[in-house]
This record gives sequence, C-alpha cells and structure tokens, in this order.
Amino acid sequence: MTFNLNTEGESPNRITLRLHGRLDAQTFNDFDLAMLDVLPRIAEGGTVVLDLSGLDYISSAGLRSIAKIRRSTRARGGHTLLLNLQPQVRKVFDIVKAVPVNEVFASLQELDDYLDHMQRRMTGQGLPGGS
Amino acid sequence: MDVTPSAAQSTNSRSADLPKLDYAWLNGRVDRGLAMVLRSIASRLSLWVLVGSVAVLAIAGSVLFYRVGEQILEQAHGEATALANEAGNRIEQRLARVADTAQTLASVVGSRPEGIEAILRDALERNADLSGLAAAFVPAKDNAPTSPFINRQDDGSLGWRDLRKDDNPYWDKNWFLTGLRCTQGCWQRHFYSQSRKRELVNYSAPIQRDGHTIGLINADVSLDWLGRVLKALIKPAGAYAFVLDDGGAYLAHDNPSMVGQRGQPDLLQALARHEAVRVRLAVAQNPQAGGKAVWIYLAPIEGTRWSFGLAMPEAMIYAGVRQAFVRVLLLGLLALLALAAVTLAVARRTLAPLGTLASRAEYVARGALNFELPAVRYPDEVGRLTHAFDRMRTELALHIETLTRNAKEQQRLASELDIAHQIQTALLPGQHYLDAHCENFELHALLRPARAVGGDLYSYFMLNQRRFCVMVGDVSDKGIPAALFMARTITLAKALAPKAQSPQNLLSMLNLELCRNNDSCMFVSLLCGMLDTFTGELVMASAGHEPPVLCDTDAARFIEFETGAALGLDDEAHYPTRTLRLQPGQTLLLYTDGITEATDRAERMFGAERMLDCLQRSPSRSAADLAAGLLAEVDRFTDGAGQADDITVLALNWHHALANRNAPMLDMSIKASMDEVFDALERCDAALCAHGVTPAVREDVRLVLEELMVNMVQHGHAGSTDRTIDLHMHLGEDAVLIELHHDGQPFDPLQIPMPTLTGDLADAEDVGGLGIHLVRAMASELSYSHDDQGNHLQLRFLHPVSTEPDHDVQPEH
Repeated sequence: MTFNLNTEGESPNRITLRLHGRLDAQTFNDFDLAMLDVLPRIAEGGTVVLDLSGLDYISSAGLRSIAKIRRSTRARGGHTLLLNLQPQVRKVFDIVKAVPVNEVFASLQELDDYLDHMQRRMTGQGLPGGS
Repeated sequence: MDVTPSAAQSTNSRSADLPKLDYAWLNGRVDRGLAMVLRSIASRLSLWVLVGSVAVLAIAGSVLFYRVGEQILEQAHGEATALANEAGNRIEQRLARVADTAQTLASVVGSRPEGIEAILRDALERNADLSGLAAAFVPAKDNAPTSPFINRQDDGSLGWRDLRKDDNPYWDKNWFLTGLRCTQGCWQRHFYSQSRKRELVNYSAPIQRDGHTIGLINADVSLDWLGRVLKALIKPAGAYAFVLDDGGAYLAHDNPSMVGQRGQPDLLQALARHEAVRVRLAVAQNPQAGGKAVWIYLAPIEGTRWSFGLAMPEAMIYAGVRQAFVRVLLLGLLALLALAAVTLAVARRTLAPLGTLASRAEYVARGALNFELPAVRYPDEVGRLTHAFDRMRTELALHIETLTRNAKEQQRLASELDIAHQIQTALLPGQHYLDAHCENFELHALLRPARAVGGDLYSYFMLNQRRFCVMVGDVSDKGIPAALFMARTITLAKALAPKAQSPQNLLSMLNLELCRNNDSCMFVSLLCGMLDTFTGELVMASAGHEPPVLCDTDAARFIEFETGAALGLDDEAHYPTRTLRLQPGQTLLLYTDGITEATDRAERMFGAERMLDCLQRSPSRSAADLAAGLLAEVDRFTDGAGQADDITVLALNWHHALANRNAPMLDMSIKASMDEVFDALERCDAALCAHGVTPAVREDVRLVLEELMVNMVQHGHAGSTDRTIDLHMHLGEDAVLIELHHDGQPFDPLQIPMPTLTGDLADAEDVGGLGIHLVRAMASELSYSHDDQGNHLQLRFLHPVSTEPDHDVQPEH
C-alpha cells in the first residue's frame, strides 16, 4: 500500500483529510477519484484541510491533484489548507511554489488559530472568502 | 721537429740524465726560428731571390768554366808543344856538337893517324859535354898499334888506357861491330860502363882510310849529363822533362829513378810515329806527379832516334782558370748576398703595412673595429688594400649593427614564439591519462608541431562522473594563424562540451561558433568521441577528420563512418554519429594527417597502409607504446627528411568494463509501462537504501526518475507499445550516477521552458512542465543526448558520504 487516504472530522464547513504514503503518478488517480466523493460533501465556502504528516513523497502528478482540489474549493468560495508538510514534500512545494505560504501550516495548533481567526473575521465582517 | 711541453719539462728536471734531449730542444728552437723567419713574405722573397741567383750563377759559371777550360787547354797545348820543340832542339844541338866532334876527329885520325892520343885528349878537354873519347882500330898490320881511350874521371882529370890491352878484345864486341857498319856515324845504345860506374851513351864515327873503315872514334856522354841538360831546360813549374830512346826506355828523366824504365804503352804508341805529338795519360808514370792525369808533349830529336818529352800535369793547366773562377764565384756570391739583403730591406719596407693590416684583421676577427690603419704612401696594391680594408671596416660596422638589430628582433620573435609554444602546450592536457577512478581505460597522446607552434590539437576531459570526452583536430594551415585558431577551437570545445553532451552536438555548436567572423576561411577537422567509462561505449562524430583506427590484439582497422564538413566552413553542417562498444584490450587510435602524409626523402608518403601495418606489428598493445611506436616508425620512415606538418597521435586503450567493486548498483531494462516504472522505482530505492544513501537523496532520485520515466511512458511512445527504458545506476564516491536510455521519440528535458510559477499552482488550469522543472531542480547534473538509439539522459545526484566521514573529497553544494 503506497497511498492511503483517511477522512477525519468531517463537517460541512470543514473536512480534514489525512494522506499517507506516496502521492505520485501511480496513486494520484486513486486520490482524485476519492476526492470526487469527498468534495461534494463540503458546503459552499467550506475548508478542506489536507494533513500531510503521513505523506512521505509527492511528485508532479500529486501536485496537480492537490492543485485540482484547491481550484475546486476555491471555485466554491472555500479554502484548502495544508498541514504538517514532510521535508520532501515541502521541498517539492517550494520548488514549484505550489501554494501560497499562508495556506501551509506546520502544526494543528497553528491551523486552529488560523481557522479561529478566519471565523472571527467572517462573523465580524460577514464577508466570506478572501485571504 | 717539435718538442712537447712535457718533454721539455722533463728535460729541465732531468737534464743530467738525458743530455740527448737538450739537442732535440735546441733543434726545435732552430726549426721554430726558421719557421718564424719564413713566415714573413719579405724573408721568403729575399731567400728565394738568393737561391735563384745562386743557381743561375752556378749554372752560368759552370758553362763558362767548361768553355774557357777548353780554350785554356788548347792554349796550353800550343805553349807546351813549342816548349817541347825548343827543348828538343836544344838537346839536339848539344848532341850534334858531340857528333861533330867525333866526326871531325874521325876524319883527322883517318888522314893522319900519328899523335892521335894528344888530339883526343885535346878534344876531350875542350868539350866538357864529353865523358870520354876512344879511337878503336880494327886490328890490322898497317893500322895503329894502339887504340887509345881517354876518359874524364870523377875528379876532372883525364885518364888514358889502351883498349888493345883490355882483357876482352873490343873488336868482337857489339858496339864496335855496329859502329863499323854505321858509315855516317851514329848514336849507339846506352850501356853501363863497369869501369866508370855510370850509364853512358856513345856516338861512333868511322875512321876511313882509302875508302876502308879502319876504326871508330867513339865519343861517350854520360846519361847524367843528359839529365843535367834536361834539368837546365826552362820549364813551367810542376812540369818535368824526359828523353826516350828508340826502344821506349827513358834515357834521361827529371826524376832519376825513372831512367832505364820503359814508358807506358800509350806513350810508346805515340813515340812510334816519331813526330811532334801530344798524348794524355790518365795516370802519370812518374810517381812525382802523384798519380794524376798529365799531358805529354813529345818532340823527336833530330840526328838521333830519340824523343824529347815534356810532361804537364793537367791540374796545373787548369789551376789558373780554376782559381780565377773561384774568385769570381765568391765575388758573385757576395754580390748576391748583398742583393738578397737589399731585397729583404725593400720588401720589408714595402710590405710593412701588410703586417699591420694582418694584425688589424685579427682585431676585426675579435670584433674590434676602432683602430689605426697604416698611412697610405703609394697608390699601389698595398695602398688599395689599405683603402679597401678601411672601407670594409666601415661597412662591416654598419652590417654588424644591422645584424645585431635583426638578431635582437629575431630573439624577441623567438622568445615570443617560445612563450606561445608554452601557452599552446598548456592548452593541451597531459600526455598520459589513466582513469583514476576505475582504471578501466588509459590514454596516451603525443603532439609534435612542425614549427614552434602548430595547428594540431587534442583534448580530453571528463564530462561528468561517467562520460569522458576526447578529441583530436587539425587546423588548416600551419604556424601562428593555425595555433591561434587551434587555441580558439580547443577552448570553445571545452566550454561547449558540458552543454553539448554528445559529439554531434558539440561539433554542431563548435561549427557555429567557428563560422562566426571566420573571414580568413580557416577551418579545423575534428574527431570527437565520448566514452562511457563504465561500459566502454563510445560515440563518435567527425568533422572532416581522418577515420580512427581500432587496434585489436592482433589486427588494426579503420572505423569508417560518414563525416560532416570541417568546422568553420558551413554553418549548416550536421554531423552523423557512430557508436562503438570497446572490448577489453582494444585501442582506439586518433591521429592527424601529419602521420599519413609524412614524406621521406624520395617524396613518398607514409600512408594509411604503413600505419595499419605498423600498428598491427606493434609488440605492445598499451596506449603509450602504440602511440610512441607509430611516431618512431614515422621518424624512421622520414629519416631526417624534415617534418612538414604537425603530428598528433592519441591512443585510447580500453582495459575492461567497470570492475566489480564499481559495478552498477542497478542495471535494468524495463518495458515502458507505468507498472514497470514504479516497480523499477522501488528497486532503485531499495538499492540506494542498501548502499546507505540518505533518505533525502533517495527521495530526490525517486522523484526525478519518476518524472522522467513517466514522461517517457506517457509522451515518448510515439505510437509504439514495445518501447523500453534502460536504467543504469551507479554509486560514485560522492554522487549517485544514473543513466536513462529510452528508445522513444526524441525528448530533451533541458529544452523544456520553465513553467510559469505564480506562487499558486491552482491559478492555472494545468501547469505544464512541472515535472521537468522538478527534475532540473533536483538533479545535481543532467545531460541529455539523442542518437539513432534514442534518448540518453545522464543524471548525477550529490550525496553526503555518511559511511566514510573522513573521505578526502567533500561533496559540493
């Protein structure tokens, strides 16, 4: 088993997906297929959190899958946040400047802080989305 | 004779032991002195004048002496003959008186015989020449009873004797009987008188009475008297006189011991003619003449049958003239010596400037040109020579100045050329190269320019950990332009090679660069090869260069393949490649036309046949021996004919493929399908892990390989389903080396443009080239080439050597 996907803490506004193994040309298809199931479950403006602490490896195929997810959530006014990037993955992300820095989080705490902050802004201003 | 210094030294030290050497030393001195004298023209001139004059004088003198001698002899003959005749006459007169006395007495006695004794005595007293007188009668009755004989005794007194009373009767004796027959009177033969103890000769005159001979008057003269007469004759000094009787015996002689002896046969022959005659006796009979030649002048004495002879020694005849000649010769010699001295002085004075000029010429030889020349006195040859010498000195100074300037210029050029040679040599890598990593090949190159700098080139270098680039080229033309072009070529080649990655690319790029601004239309032929040092696979491309030679263990053959145009001529030229896999022991030989076109003295070319032959025969297959052996063979062939063109030989000897310890970690060939690709990735990862490669590097490798191979599978199949991918992985000392070969359509990842990276991949619908971008970022080195066998990718990943922390070479980052 080279790639595994677990869904955790699912709610319409926020779903956390834990990725395990390698996301490469061999596995990105499975991932894409799985995501076709997952994404419709997210509400408009919902946030997808990809916990990559278990992802050892990613190649350009994997990058494209993640880019697809992000385009999809963005199209629906949501966010895709990345959590716990492993060194190899971080390196690949850095090389291709795959995602804005503010959408990558080193730990769950950091992510929670960010999400709380977002929550307050949304509540305070009544404006969804934006960065 | 010459004395060596060592001999002279030993003479000094041991002169007491070896006095002989002193003479040798002295002789050497004399010889040297003579040689010194003869070194001067003036001395030689005067010496030869002297020698020549003396020779002329001697010859002329001899001829004159001979001529004059003959005249002198004639003159002497005349004088001597006259003298002899005169002397003969004088003797004749004396003897005639004796004969007259006898005749007179005979007639007196015949008519009146009484008182005969008194008459005889009286006659004897009056004629001192007579030694004795006798009147001898034939004994008869009417004849006188006595025959008186009166003789002059030693004391001058006269003795008397009656011949009748002698014991031996005279009338029986020869002298008496001969006298009787001699009616006119005659001289008898000389005889020795016992009674008077002397040689006598007598004249007999018959006494006649009534027509009958009744007796004889006998007048004796002694031979001593004749000798005295001879002595009294006036003769030249040294000459002597004699009288010969009709029998050839000496009656009288200036040398008394000769009296009574017979004359020599030559003399007697002349005597027989009984006339005035001269004869030369080679050896004189007279001991007083000392055995020398004499001339004898004979004159007959009338009234007798005797001859008078005068002997003149020949030496005496010539003595005067000889003496005169000696004097003249001595005088002449003195005159000639004086002439020689004058010649010497004049010649010395005339030639003195020559000596000065000679020493000045030695100055010139030493390089000194400032000196005094002798003043010109006369416009003769010496004067002209002096002028010419002066002019020569001036011209020479100018010439030397020009030469010095030129020499300095030459020196400067030579030194520049020397530096250029050094620089050019520095452009070339070392002669010998042994692959230090794996020792699986060895290279030996020799380059010998025809001049200080040349247009041949060779170069070699590692392109990366695995690939080795080697090239040999030959620039058109020779000398400095070629050297500059060569420098340009070799520098460009080295700069372009890492980018080119394949021979055909390198040649194309080089060609483009060299075509630029190439107004002089120079070009370079170049053979470039890239060797996979792991496998021995060699890819070559040629730009108009000679085909390489592949030497097996027992054969050598050309590797013929299509070549492109020489570099620098056609900027659209393209260069086909030829791939070859070297077998262990094989040597590839690259060379320039300096080898094949080397010519011997007969203008024959070395040629390809000889080269192949030489390589085949080479006893050693090592790169160094093949290259050096070929060059030596070319040298033997040209045999000093002069090197016309630059010569380069480069031998590449393939030892063996990668040894076990350097065996690739992974060497596999897979089908171009996703499953197999990922299977391969797993195996790579496992192999790297097994070799202790850090996870970070392993992930990099995996990523790059995945991107590349997936690319090949997805985009490179070109419609075919049975494409294969070869993967070779090798662990270097500080890097992981990977080769990927794919037989699909050409795809150069290096040519893919950089993707537009906005900072968010999601911005674009689908960002292309991400994988290749990752590959280029991850791999420490990446090279690509493509040939008829497909795409070739070479990758290198640096990795820190964790297992050998104290290793010399630290990886670079």
